[in-house]
Amino acid sequence: MSGSKAAEPVLRVKDIVAGYGEMTILNGTTFDVRPGTITTVIGPNGAGKSTVFKTIFGMLKARSGSVTFKGQDITNAPPRRLLTLGLCYVPQGRNIFPELSVRHNLELGGVSAGAGVDVPARVEALMERFPMLRKKSGQQASTLSGGEQKLLEIARSLLLDPQLMLVDEPSIGLSPLMVQEVFGILKDLRQKGVSVLMIEQNARSALEISDDGLVLELGRTRIQDDAARLLADPRVGQLFLGGVVGDAA
Amino acid sequence: MANMINLLMAGLATGAIYALVAIGFTLLWQTSQTINFAQGEFVMLPAFFVLAALNLKAPLWLALLIGLGASLLVLGALFKRAVVDPMLRHGVLPLAICTMALSIFLKEGVKESYSAEASPFPSFVPGGNVSLLGAQISIQSVSIFVFALVVVFALQAFLMRTSTGRQMQATAQNPSVARLLGIPVERMILYTFLINAGLVALASFLVSPVYLAKFSSGETLGLAAFIAAIVGGFNQIRGAIAGGLLLGVVDNFAAAYVSTQYRGAVPLFLLIAVILFRPQGLFGRAEERTV
Ligand SMILES: Nc1ncnc2c1ncn2[C@@H]1O[C@H](COP(=O)(O)OP(=O)(O)OP(=O)(O)O)[C@@H](O)[C@H]1O
Ligand SMILES: [Mg+2]
Repeated sequence: MSGSKAAEPVLRVKDIVAGYGEMTILNGTTFDVRPGTITTVIGPNGAGKSTVFKTIFGMLKARSGSVTFKGQDITNAPPRRLLTLGLCYVPQGRNIFPELSVRHNLELGGVSAGAGVDVPARVEALMERFPMLRKKSGQQASTLSGGEQKLLEIARSLLLDPQLMLVDEPSIGLSPLMVQEVFGILKDLRQKGVSVLMIEQNARSALEISDDGLVLELGRTRIQDDAARLLADPRVGQLFLGGVVGDAA
Repeated sequence: MANMINLLMAGLATGAIYALVAIGFTLLWQTSQTINFAQGEFVMLPAFFVLAALNLKAPLWLALLIGLGASLLVLGALFKRAVVDPMLRHGVLPLAICTMALSIFLKEGVKESYSAEASPFPSFVPGGNVSLLGAQISIQSVSIFVFALVVVFALQAFLMRTSTGRQMQATAQNPSVARLLGIPVERMILYTFLINAGLVALASFLVSPVYLAKFSSGETLGLAAFIAAIVGGFNQIRGAIAGGLLLGVVDNFAAAYVSTQYRGAVPLFLLIAVILFRPQGLFGRAEERTV
């Protein structure tokens, strides 16, 4: 790969148009995610942040534009294919199977595993890494606290050893301590070379651990820049950082 | 005492059949928001598949297999493709109403094309009595109870212990997340319909030797299963089992000690009592589902 650019993007979203029914939400959304980085997406409510993720992950059809993962076209590919290629997605809100045990919730992350993958061994490894999950492995997932459920979701999404994680508002509703834990996991992942694309309302804390940031407005990328520069940008500060923490209710 | 044991056994046998039907009912609701008001007719029909095969001189075992196969095809796959899939797009209520129409269609269809009379139906379990504590217990009742219980436990084991079973549960509990983990959601829903078809066929083969095969026999069965499901909590398989057994026993005792005339009202009383005192059912949780 000596001829290519130093850092070919792990994910490239280009001119995506998508929406619900007749409604168009994404109007040519374009951005890149560099390998081994954390990239945070910020923007007002209803800007289409979650919609971008759903479209990347094949839950919503892109009417035009393209999504490329490590040089492969994955536009409108079904979740199963994306998972085997090395993407994973932790949506906004609660995404567990409440009446199944913690262990079985974890195992289901391996449904799309290829023939060579030893799912039980991966489950073991994740329990090693998140002792809380082992301690509560026999419990119904609905008995976990909100933060523990988020950890379970994140752990489940790691079962197939992804290279890129999409995570939508992981900190919402979590205690400050739990937020630190979740952000810690994301930093760990980056250290291991996994790229993270995250949506966060908690813009300041998220940008502080990020390499890149982008502002999405009305389904378009307004700004894509270095996270530190975004933090310092007065336009961003005014809109998304000033008082965000206190006003979040 | 002897009489009590007899009644209890007969009640458990009836109740086990209600439970089979109620479990299917619950499964359809859980995985595809289908409230199947034709569930009683789904129990009535397989017996006629078998009778039709017997009329063509098939031996009983083959006729039962044909009946089971036809049920899986018609009450499982075809019901899903031709009724549920197209109607569910319009909502839960239109689908429920459609199943009411289907129930009338099946009833009238059997009446017109087969017979308006009750037909005897061969039993594949032995008859006769055994004595226990001075009571003459019907072997048929015991066999029905045991057979239904084995089926229920096998189903539970499948749902809890196999990967496919857990994928089915995941689909029922959170279909959108199931889809994004790569679980083949459509196939899991189809399996649910096939399981329901298998359950109603078994119920049909067990109940018809006792109560005969008749076009209208689904009316009471459907209502009983519906009530058993609600009594048990509507979203729980073990609730449907408990609800079915309870209803069967109460039903039989009421017929003996209260009045056969009021027998039909007993399930409704039970239903009202449960709704008043425990609206989420014996085993149910309050649902958070947004329909
Ligand atoms: N399933 C849906 N059907 C129809 N419209 C939808 C659906 N989901 C979202 N929308 C609409 O699409 C727009 C963008 O929604 P989206 O969830 O992407 O916003 P968001 O940027 O993630 O906002 P938030 O910060 O509140 O999570 C909103 O106007 C929303 O009302
Ligand atoms: Mg969102």
